[in-house]
Amino acid sequence: MSHDVMIDLQQVNKFYRGQKAPVVENMSMTIQQGEIIVLVGPSGCGKTTTMKMINRLIEPSSGRILIDGTDVTALDGNDLRRQIGYVIQQVGLFPHMSVATNVGLVPKMLGWDAKRIEARADELLDLVGLEPAIYRNRLPRQLSGGQQQRVGVARALAADPPVMLMDEPFGATDPMTRDRLQNEFLRLQEQLRKTIVFVTHDFDEAIKMGTRIAVLGERSKIRQFDTPENLLASPADDTVAQFIGRGARLKQLDLRRVDAITWEDVPLIQPDKTTNGAKRQLEQTEGSSALTVDADNRPLRWVNADELTAAAGALDGDAGQTVTTVEPQATLRDALDAMLASRDGAAVVVDERGRYAGTVTLDGLMQVIHHTPERGTSGSGVPDQRVGAAPAAELAPEQR
Amino acid sequence: MSSATEAQAAATVLTPPSRWRGLLRRHATMPLILAVVLLGTYLWVSATNLDDIEQRFLNADYLLRTAGEHVTLAALTTVLVVAIAGGGGILLTRPSLRWLTPFATGLANIGQATPAIGLLVLLSIFLGIDFSTALICLVAYSVLPVLQNTIVGINQVDRHLIEAGRGIGMSPLAVLLRIELPLAVPVILAGVRTALVLAVGVATLATFIDAGGMGALIVTGIKLQRETILVTGAVLTAALALTLDWLGGVISDLLRPRGLD
Repeated sequence: MSHDVMIDLQQVNKFYRGQKAPVVENMSMTIQQGEIIVLVGPSGCGKTTTMKMINRLIEPSSGRILIDGTDVTALDGNDLRRQIGYVIQQVGLFPHMSVATNVGLVPKMLGWDAKRIEARADELLDLVGLEPAIYRNRLPRQLSGGQQQRVGVARALAADPPVMLMDEPFGATDPMTRDRLQNEFLRLQEQLRKTIVFVTHDFDEAIKMGTRIAVLGERSKIRQFDTPENLLASPADDTVAQFIGRGARLKQLDLRRVDAITWEDVPLIQPDKTTNGAKRQLEQTEGSSALTVDADNRPLRWVNADELTAAAGALDGDAGQTVTTVEPQATLRDALDAMLASRDGAAVVVDERGRYAGTVTLDGLMQVIHHTPERGTSGSGVPDQRVGAAPAAELAPEQR
Repeated sequence: MSSATEAQAAATVLTPPSRWRGLLRRHATMPLILAVVLLGTYLWVSATNLDDIEQRFLNADYLLRTAGEHVTLAALTTVLVVAIAGGGGILLTRPSLRWLTPFATGLANIGQATPAIGLLVLLSIFLGIDFSTALICLVAYSVLPVLQNTIVGINQVDRHLIEAGRGIGMSPLAVLLRIELPLAVPVILAGVRTALVLAVGVATLATFIDAGGMGALIVTGIKLQRETILVTGAVLTAALALTLDWLGGVISDLLRPRGLD
């Protein structure tokens, strides 16, 4: 077993007295340090039960659960839970305690001195984006729902636990707040590198948050346990496919970035240059449009062969079609949006300074989608597949 | 500009409107009414020519003594009831004992549903005629509201808060002391207040088994047909009950956890 394994569930079962079928049956799962594992499945499938067995809010009936190599059933339940962050959908801030008191509860139980608890509470409020001077003495009901959940996350992080359990933490907030909380949390996670078990019934949330997703069926049976990319590209069975729902292909577009697909080059026309070279190239490659760029290679407009002919030598600024641009870090969904907005189904990729770097087309997009990623690759941020973009002055003769 | 408004908002949050002003507004009426009624009764009695019998009862010594007995009875009852019903209520909300709740409330209900005078007489047959019999009767009679409210008060605490408490590693006792009880205080105190008022009322019957209290005035007034004694006894009992109820209101306002609406 690799030393990177943080949580290891081995043959875990949960029976309740008086129920014939177990709620969780023979669950085994290995979770690496720093991963966000999303347990997703229909309600009543045992995903919350599975999660709560990790901090023993629910005692497993049989099997072993190891956290960082230690069997949790050998520890005192309360001590164990103080070392595991816990966030629930209903937030569960204590209404009669101030924000700072709520955040400082676990450190207090761990016997920190008052000064240190105070400093830690301020530090955490700052971390989750709440100005300590304003919020530390507030009561939970004086906060908005989103702010309350931020405090909930801060409270879970208080003693800097290596493992966090999150039970639909953003489920009770409105879609916009949820989106913001998710993004903030992902940003936090980049710094904190916690090992997180995250329960949700929202598959889109699972795709967004998960390093790996476990789709659970009845009795917490793992139907598929894989990266979001692989899950979308090749669902293990019909049930998983059904659960992913419609638009799996579209959802895939959210996971991949523009730099994952092949860029193409188009003829560029710089100001003060004749259009002849471009015209010739359009004829050679049977391409339909060329791109006019400014002196710094920033794309201006699309022009086609007819417009080039009409302009006869000098293009005026209004000829042709407007250009839609995307950056290499944009998702393929953004790229698709840009493509649909342009006449030729092509979007121009620009670097961070807005300079031309290549174009992406619907054809390229189609190729990526139909060419399913190989198992085990992380998918997002596939290394550069493009060859260096051609300098604008010398027109690349062939398409790649 | 925005930081200025934020700071202002913070300031208003940090200094909540003075608790005392709200307290005064809510609780000032009752003492005034009581003062007027008591003063009126006093003036009426002092304007009346009292005969021997009336003078024997309507003097400061006698009134203070019976009032003292009455308050002692009611206060002891309340202390016992809080200990018994409060403690019992807490136990009955623990998961392992929850199944006992219907039996316990059923039992407490018998105590309250039995007419107080009947309960008193029955108990005195078995336990003899004295102060402790009256006390037992009063406790039996006023256990239910405290028991009921303790159970309801604790059970109405959002179970997600309890789950959150357990989830961050609080022990069951810590959850009880730091979360369940503080949040149940308003409901429990409402029950204590009811019990207190019941005890003051029922304590007037203690005189039937010679356990003292202001009931003596009322009973004497009826038996000897002395209206002044009867009215004074009735007014004083009512005033005492209202005073204690008022006091209970003030205390529960003061003990109310902040952060609740």
